[in-house]
Amino acid sequence: MTQLVQLRKQLSSSFAMPFKHRDVGGKVLVTNTEGEFLLLTPDEFASFARGDVAKGTPLYTRLAERNFVRAEASSDRMLQRLRARKRFLSWGPNLHIVVVTLRCNETCVYCHASRADMGATHTDMTPEVADATVDQIFATTSPDVTIEFQGGEPLVAFDTVKRIVERARQKNETAGKRLEFTMVSNLSLMDEEKLAWLVENKVQLCTSVDGPEHLHDKQRKLVGGSAHAAATKWIRRINEAYVAMGLDPTLYHVEALLTTTRDALPRWKEIVDTYVDLGCRALFLRPVDPFGFADRTAPRVEYPRAEYLDFYRSAVDYMIDLNKRGVEILERFAAIFLTKILAGEDPNFLDVRSPCGAGIGQIAYNYDGKIFTCDEGRMLHEMGDDAFLLGQVGETRYRDVMSHETVRALAIASNLDAQPDCVNCTYQPYCGVCPVHNHKTQGSIFGRMRESSLCAVHKGIQDYLFERIGADDPEILRVFSQWTTVRDRVHFLQTCNV
Amino acid sequence: MIELRFHRDLYRGESVDAAAKALAPYATTIDRAEEPAHWVLRVTASNPERERRVAGEIANRALGITVRGAG
Amino acid sequence: MSSLSEIASVDAAQRSVALTVDASLYPLGAVYGAAYVFLDRCYVLLDKPDAAHVRVTLSWKKGEPPEGALVAMAGEFANELLSCAWRAKIAEESRAVIESTTARALSGAMGAPSLDDLEKFEFGDEAFEDPLGIAMSWEEKYGKNKKAAEEKKEEAGK
Repeated sequence: MTQLVQLRKQLSSSFAMPFKHRDVGGKVLVTNTEGEFLLLTPDEFASFARGDVAKGTPLYTRLAERNFVRAEASSDRMLQRLRARKRFLSWGPNLHIVVVTLRCNETCVYCHASRADMGATHTDMTPEVADATVDQIFATTSPDVTIEFQGGEPLVAFDTVKRIVERARQKNETAGKRLEFTMVSNLSLMDEEKLAWLVENKVQLCTSVDGPEHLHDKQRKLVGGSAHAAATKWIRRINEAYVAMGLDPTLYHVEALLTTTRDALPRWKEIVDTYVDLGCRALFLRPVDPFGFADRTAPRVEYPRAEYLDFYRSAVDYMIDLNKRGVEILERFAAIFLTKILAGEDPNFLDVRSPCGAGIGQIAYNYDGKIFTCDEGRMLHEMGDDAFLLGQVGETRYRDVMSHETVRALAIASNLDAQPDCVNCTYQPYCGVCPVHNHKTQGSIFGRMRESSLCAVHKGIQDYLFERIGADDPEILRVFSQWTTVRDRVHFLQTCNV
Repeated sequence: MIELRFHRDLYRGESVDAAAKALAPYATTIDRAEEPAHWVLRVTASNPERERRVAGEIANRALGITVRGAG
Repeated sequence: MSSLSEIASVDAAQRSVALTVDASLYPLGAVYGAAYVFLDRCYVLLDKPDAAHVRVTLSWKKGEPPEGALVAMAGEFANELLSCAWRAKIAEESRAVIESTTARALSGAMGAPSLDDLEKFEFGDEAFEDPLGIAMSWEEKYGKNKKAAEEKKEEAGK
């Protein structure tokens, strides 16, 4: 009779709480349902998996402290952590994106907003639609409301911006929300009068900087001028204005973000240096997305995600090095994940949470009053796909928007407990999917994560972060810990008298 | 002529009928027949490519209506 | 062991590719789910060559398919089919947590109904299913049974 060779001992099912594992940087990362983690050596992992860890040993203590040992597991601790991670489920949309016009004075190669020419005044939001939009916004159950002005270029429709801010403030006198305003602008139409109004009315400003001048201007065309020169001029001017008001420049400054195109990939150092020179404290290394113009210009701007991840690692390694030398600059993606990983909190970044924020966390209002699940859903509408249209301001009641079948479908489709691959993924406690991205790239809101470029980005970033955490470098851990620290910018709260 | 055979275990008869009705304006003729295991449609149109397109759209619509009804 | 080329056959003249799917591995819901995803990019026809299999025929919509495109489409369909089948299983196993998360997310977003919402709500006579007859009065419950028993006796006598 043939002797069968026993390849391995049967793994213990009684020692460990449910866990998932992944090889990261020569160690084995284990995570549990509530997002606790440990990085174990291969031998430690083998002992853990076999249940062969003696009580009282350092490994046992480490495992027990993080709720990995069944005999020591605390359900209270687990529930507390799960509640912290899912706090955002208690209320409705806090982010309200208002597209005040599609007109824009710049043409960006990757524009995902499907901008319109400056003569297309029919794409300006009317006063009636603006008023109805504000009324719709204040129906939210969220105690926090951020109204984010987008376009096109929102400075083109500055009167509409002012109208919305004023009406929102009036509504808030009775609503009592924690109200904030932000504007995403290319800044090239800024002038001193607009700046004075925006600063006085506490509208936070965010812009795009694609890196050094030659790269930025190649991708963002401003007729008759340099888009880079205009953006950087006003970044410095706005930051000066904040300092003049006595605000802490480390906390109050223009936020800038990057759209990583193929041309940007070899220029990670120049890009980081550009942001540091501008006084920016944060840099969001966003990959290009498949919406708007980016769909058509993909042959020019797109790249394999493995190349993006090489760029990301190089850039963030450099940023960590700068931080070690006293230069404050964080990477936003890393900060979002590290807040979940190290701090056990959810920063409520709507694109990376389970379920995602489509409908229940954010709403996008188009210039014509159409309501969408999110900005990506609105972008698809401009590309001819109305799958994520929820209604019309002034006609569709808030509760009907929230109970729309599309909102329900997206809440289910973006729940990682229901998603093949994610359900077994070590990064599940920290991650999120985008059903609109799935719909666009793979034909269904559920998608297939193994083929998803967004999943590749999320996994790659988390692999990088855990490799760095696993290196046990106290300086890196200090930098990462700083990146998780959220300081409220209370000056921008509309209810605040500071 | 293109013959479409819709298995009774996979398609609802009403879905096949509804699909045929919706695409009828684009076809020259759509003849219906029933077999023990299949609903059968025979589609003709003004040229082979159009015939292919109409038949294909009928198939997709019948599937779409069947799936929506199965949910 | 089957490879894609063994279970998928290309008909170049018809610009189509057909896959034969083992019905015991892939529930019909998964076949429907995967087929539905492909409706925008190809014509999809399902058939049953025998009781144990479903044949999926994917036909290229417009023009000539580039070389390899039909096999690639079949491969993508196979991936989607697996995804749908597994998702159905996960949904069945994780139904409770999916339902509770979704309910909490939607109730948090919707908030409590207003008096206007309650006014519009249809409170019908048949409020809920009552398989144990708990909501029925004694007369309703035994009166019905008594009548049914009498009718049955009458039928048996015929």
